[in-house]
Amino acid sequence: MNAAGTLRRARPGLSGLLVLIALAAALATLVIVAVGGHPPASQAQQVQQIAAGLHCPICKDLSVADSPAPLAQRMRQEITQELRAGESADQIRAGFVAAYGDSVLMSPPRQGVAGAVYYLPLLVLATGVITAFALLRRWLRAPQPDPPGAGMPELSAARRRAVAKAVARLREEEPG
Amino acid sequence: MRRRTWLLAGVAATVAVIVALLMTGLGRDPSVIASPLVGRAAPNFTLPQLDGPPVTLSKLRGQVVVINFWASWCAECQVEQAALDQTWQHFQDSGVVVIGVNFEDSTGAAHSYVRAHGVTYPVVEDAGSQAALAYGLRGVPETFVVNQSGRVVNRVFGPVDAAALSSEINSMLLASPR
Repeated sequence: MNAAGTLRRARPGLSGLLVLIALAAALATLVIVAVGGHPPASQAQQVQQIAAGLHCPICKDLSVADSPAPLAQRMRQEITQELRAGESADQIRAGFVAAYGDSVLMSPPRQGVAGAVYYLPLLVLATGVITAFALLRRWLRAPQPDPPGAGMPELSAARRRAVAKAVARLREEEPG
Repeated sequence: MRRRTWLLAGVAATVAVIVALLMTGLGRDPSVIASPLVGRAAPNFTLPQLDGPPVTLSKLRGQVVVINFWASWCAECQVEQAALDQTWQHFQDSGVVVIGVNFEDSTGAAHSYVRAHGVTYPVVEDAGSQAALAYGLRGVPETFVVNQSGRVVNRVFGPVDAAALSSEINSMLLASPR
């Protein structure tokens, strides 16, 4: 056995190992992306995200992030200070809700009566699907109309001939 | 037949619910947004006074406090000025404090306004809008009435009415005699 032959036999094992390493690296990358998600947002981005979810209280249909109003600027400063103090986004939002009520949120909360905004369309859709299904089933099960002559007793060949003769006689007797 | 009755009852119930919702919605003024603070403890503040020592709300516990957010650039604030002064003059010896909280304004403009309109009750500056944010301010003028226990009992959006404010203060004073 020479060196070249040894190398040739060793190649399949080596390539298999390389494939395994590549697969492990790809899997690790997927896990990191899935678990870690996006890189951590900077404080400015966090302020922007929280402010974008809050209604400017003195503006019409503008978020705190988009409003140039002085009060919205103060709210952004407040968010920055509270983030620096270690408060979470939920805690900061809860603070504004405590002062302004749920109407300060750009999206209504999923709890309470406002939650109906999210669940009612699904309920209506489900009711529609169930109704459509029930109607379709009923329509498919509806009895088909009987063909002409259905339910009449079968005529024997002799009777059929007699009927044909009677019809022919009547036609001959018809005037014109 | 029974199925048809149920169906009709369901349709009638749905229509009734929709009509009830519409009637409730139509009977409500959309510009009036209820404050979640009413019934809760008034957020405390310590703010510098324009002419005098700082004012701390918690130190006024036991008195009825009328907190009025205003600004010199606010036209409607001028409309209610007489009502607030009248309330202060009438009740200041009965355990009632009126505080004007100057909002989004300059000190010079606030001073000029106070002099020009002869404001006699204490006026404080909310330079960082901390008090405004704590009270969920949506504009000026806006007035909060705090009872002797330190709870917010009413919030008036827009100019206050002297008679309504006096009546409210009287009922609070009568409810807890000193």
